[in-house]
Amino acid sequence: MDALLTASRLIFDPYVLWVITASAAFGMFVGAMPGLTATMATALLVPVTFFMDPVPALGAIVTATAMAIFAGDIPAALLRIPGTPASAAYTDESYAMSKKGQLDLNLGVNLVFSVLGGFVGVAILIVCAPALAEVAINFSSFEYFWLALLGLTCAVFMTSDVPLKGITSLLFGLAINCIGIDPAAGYPRFTFGSVELLQGISFIPAMIGMFALSELLRGMVHADATGAVIAQEIGNIFSGVFGVFKRYWFNFLRGSAIGVLIGALPGAGADIAAWISFAISKRFSKEPEKFGTGHIEGIVDATSANNSALGGAWIPALVFGIPGDSITAIVIGVLYMKGMNPGPTVFLQNPQFIYAVFLIFILANVLMLPLGWIAIKGGKQLLRVPRNVLLPVILMFCLVGSYAMTNSIYGVIMMVVMGLIGWLMEEHGFPIAPAILGLVLGEMLEQNFMTSMIKADGAFIMFFERPIAATLGVLTLLIWGTMLWRGIRGRPATLSAAAPGP
Amino acid sequence: MRANDAIAGLVLIILSIVMIALTASFPDFPGQKYGPSLFPRILGAGLIVCGGILMRNGLTARRLGAPWIEIAPWAKEPRRLATFVLVLVLLLLYIFAAETVGFIPLALLFLVTLFVWLGVRPWIAAATAIAGTFTIYWFFATLLRVPLPRGWLNSIL
Repeated sequence: MDALLTASRLIFDPYVLWVITASAAFGMFVGAMPGLTATMATALLVPVTFFMDPVPALGAIVTATAMAIFAGDIPAALLRIPGTPASAAYTDESYAMSKKGQLDLNLGVNLVFSVLGGFVGVAILIVCAPALAEVAINFSSFEYFWLALLGLTCAVFMTSDVPLKGITSLLFGLAINCIGIDPAAGYPRFTFGSVELLQGISFIPAMIGMFALSELLRGMVHADATGAVIAQEIGNIFSGVFGVFKRYWFNFLRGSAIGVLIGALPGAGADIAAWISFAISKRFSKEPEKFGTGHIEGIVDATSANNSALGGAWIPALVFGIPGDSITAIVIGVLYMKGMNPGPTVFLQNPQFIYAVFLIFILANVLMLPLGWIAIKGGKQLLRVPRNVLLPVILMFCLVGSYAMTNSIYGVIMMVVMGLIGWLMEEHGFPIAPAILGLVLGEMLEQNFMTSMIKADGAFIMFFERPIAATLGVLTLLIWGTMLWRGIRGRPATLSAAAPGP
Repeated sequence: MRANDAIAGLVLIILSIVMIALTASFPDFPGQKYGPSLFPRILGAGLIVCGGILMRNGLTARRLGAPWIEIAPWAKEPRRLATFVLVLVLLLLYIFAAETVGFIPLALLFLVTLFVWLGVRPWIAAATAIAGTFTIYWFFATLLRVPLPRGWLNSIL
């Protein structure tokens, strides 16, 4: 209880509230601009939050991402272009509704169910995270090794339509993570005499490069492409929403639950949650023939799912230090920089920070209602911001942001190199997410692997001797086995066939 | 530009072999079976396997008529290709000149060039570049105390 009081004192401080409001506006803007994603919003925020205390820093990221995932629905309805990939699953459906004259209802449903989905996500986070942390406190290096490996496996299994390229991307991320001091013995590897490489690949500049620079390069090349904003006036968006809730409350609960689950699985985030819940909604709908004609049902599922996935992704991130999506991958980097190494011990030593994250999540979802309403009302003006002015300014921001992370040009070099690698990878069909996850989890994986190997001293059975380690190990091997088996039989080896990503 | 998977696979295999060769100089620790070279070697072996399968797939595709190198549609339009090259040149310029020239002049040049190239009207481009540069400088250098390179400012002030 004490921790909760401390947490609320940390949050309800004028400065923190100001940071949260400002990042909410920032998140709305980034989410609503096509081509700028929630992950990018996080990567751009980090250089700024670097100079803040942990609570406002986390507050800024939680709030901005929650807003961005909702705001991505606005251009989907107005322009038929998703603002973030998380809205891509139902962009066509939303736009079809707008053309039918149901623009108000569509935006209202998107806003209200995003808020409600966010609440479900945070509720499950509040219930599950402390309970899991109590289990995790007894974990040894064997459990952590399997957990990290399972996380990386999920990233390949969930996201890539060509598993071979997913695995290659993952191994590549792990390999570049080997640069620098090795975590087990302290020997500098692959540094080629450079002092800067001793600390390894600087994580945040690498993320800014891979998520922002590669996206900006693509955007800049197509800066002249613009869509036509639908001409309808926006009226009262809240009328009729309650009727939708009464009719489709089950869809809302199902979508939110799927969202939390997919969010919590490493490597898959809000975008995959939306695809899968939309597909499930269609599969089990009583009127599947209405899908595609501007039908609200699937939108209820998917728009709840992508916001609840945000909360779900924080569960493994806070409890095990394993990111549930690319946003929490950045968050884990931030937590390490703030000296709060994520893991079950944070729940014991710094419970006020955990409660603070919960409170910020609730606050962000409360704030989303009025701010989302403003964003919808101003949506048309927002979408008129010319891309040829916006993109160069963001690029400049990336340059300065990555400089600020190392206070030297080294950060900029890292950002540009990783950005180009990320761009080349995407051009060749290698997904970026597994590489990033490899970069985040590499140290944890290697450290626990080496510790376990030394403990086992050749007796590999020790990897399976403890019950939880054995379960996680068997599960990991089963997923690899399934992928191999299906790959050999020539069937789609990963789940992504159900969710044709953009 | 998209190279055939066989080329990507070959590059991966070469890089992995270099990586594994580099681990040969890593020390072993007395009494320990596993040293700092173990993990990179496992990864290198995995990457070689992946590279091998990629090469096989790429060669199969090649026999079925896929080209060695495929040019993306946007890269065939000179203007778009030029945008891409321009951004790269500006980034390199920033990396090499930031310390000597300083943040403010470089950022102005960077923004004006990109704005004008992307079709923003000159006076809007100039005004936005000045406003943008000084806002970013104020925010990072003054508010957050990031030591942005001063460059020429040092000799003036």
